[in-house]
Amino acid sequence: MTNQDARRMSLDAAMEVLARRRDQQVVVGTMTANGVWRQKSPHDLNLACIGFMGGASTLALGVALAQPERDVWVIDGDGSLMMQLGSLGTIAGAAPTNLLHIVVHNGVYETSGSQPLPSQAEVDFEQMAKGAGYPLTASFGDAEEFDAALDDLLAADGPTLIQLYTRPEDRFYSASPTPPGSTPPLAKMWPPIANALEQG
Amino acid sequence: MVAQSIPAGELWNAIRAAGVQDVVLVPDTHQRTLLELLMADDDIRTVHCSTEDEALAVSAGLIIGGRRPLMNIQHAGLYASVNNLRGLGLDGQFPIVIMIGLLGRDPELDPNDDGSSMVRLCQPLLETLGVPWHLLDGPEDLICVETAFDEAASRGGPVALLVGAPTS
Repeated sequence: MTNQDARRMSLDAAMEVLARRRDQQVVVGTMTANGVWRQKSPHDLNLACIGFMGGASTLALGVALAQPERDVWVIDGDGSLMMQLGSLGTIAGAAPTNLLHIVVHNGVYETSGSQPLPSQAEVDFEQMAKGAGYPLTASFGDAEEFDAALDDLLAADGPTLIQLYTRPEDRFYSASPTPPGSTPPLAKMWPPIANALEQG
Repeated sequence: MVAQSIPAGELWNAIRAAGVQDVVLVPDTHQRTLLELLMADDDIRTVHCSTEDEALAVSAGLIIGGRRPLMNIQHAGLYASVNNLRGLGLDGQFPIVIMIGLLGRDPELDPNDDGSSMVRLCQPLLETLGVPWHLLDGPEDLICVETAFDEAASRGGPVALLVGAPTS
C-alpha cells in the first residue's frame, strides 16, 4: 500500500479499536489524536505531550525504560513525528520491548488549519521505522483490518510502530490564554501518574 | 579566573554518589573522557539520543517512571532545545539536572567574557529562562552535583551544571 492509494479510516474509528484494548498502559497522546483518545479512553494513566513539539515519542520512551514491566503506548501525529524524526533511531536504539508507537497519518497539520505536511503526505513512517531498526511495523487504512491484526501486534515484543492512515478532519485548535500565576496543565498531569506508577 | 580540568573519574564518582541511575546524552567532545566511563558503567544506563529535545523528553519520562536521570549535553545543544526546556522544564516543572560542557571555553576567562558566543551566551540564556546554574570549574565544585538534584526537586524545575574545562 502506498500513501497515494491508501484507504483512510476516521480518527474516531482508529481510536475506538485501540481503546477496546486499553488496560493499565500508560498512554502518551499528542495533538488532535490526544483529544479523541481521551474521549474514547478516559483514564488516570493518560499523559499528554503539551507544549514541547514532537516530544511525545521520547517522553513515552523514558516512561517505558523506567517501567519495563508496564506497557506504554504513544499516540503520535505525523506532523509531530516529523519534528523529531531522529526519535525513531533513538527508540530503536534503546529498544524498549514494552513500547507501542502509533502514528496517526492524516497528511496535514490539523490543529493549525490542515496545512499539508512538507512531503505532501508521501512520507511513509513504517518504512522509516523499519530503516531505523524497529523490529515490528505495520500500516492500516481500514479500521476492521487494524482491529483484526492488533492483538497479534500487541503480543509481540516491541518497539512496534503502527502507522494509521486517517482522514483529515477539521479540528482546528485555538489556545486559550493562561491566567497569570496558574499551574500549567502538564505540571498538574504528571505527578499523579508518577505516584500511581510508584505504587504499582 | 582559571578553570581547572576535572578528572573524569572524580566527576563520575560524584554522579554515582548523587544516585544517578540513567545518563541521557547527546555526545559532547568536552566531556569525552567522562562519557567513556559512564558508558562502561554497568550500574548506570546510558540512553543515547539524536537531539537534546529528545534528551529532555526522555529525562522527563524517566522521572515519571521513578528513575533519577542526569542529562548530559554541550552548550550548542542547550540552544537547540530551548522550546523543550521551556515546555518540560518550566511549564512541566520536571526536576531535570542538565550537565552542559562549555566546549571551546577559554579557561582563563569568565564564561561571560568568552570570545565564543556559544560559551558567552550560556549563562545569560539560562538566567533568562530562570534556570539556576552552577559552574564546575575544578574538583572543589563537585559538591554541586548532588546539591543540584536537591535543588531541582525542591524548586520543581531544571538545574544546570556547567563543566568549565574539558574533563581529563
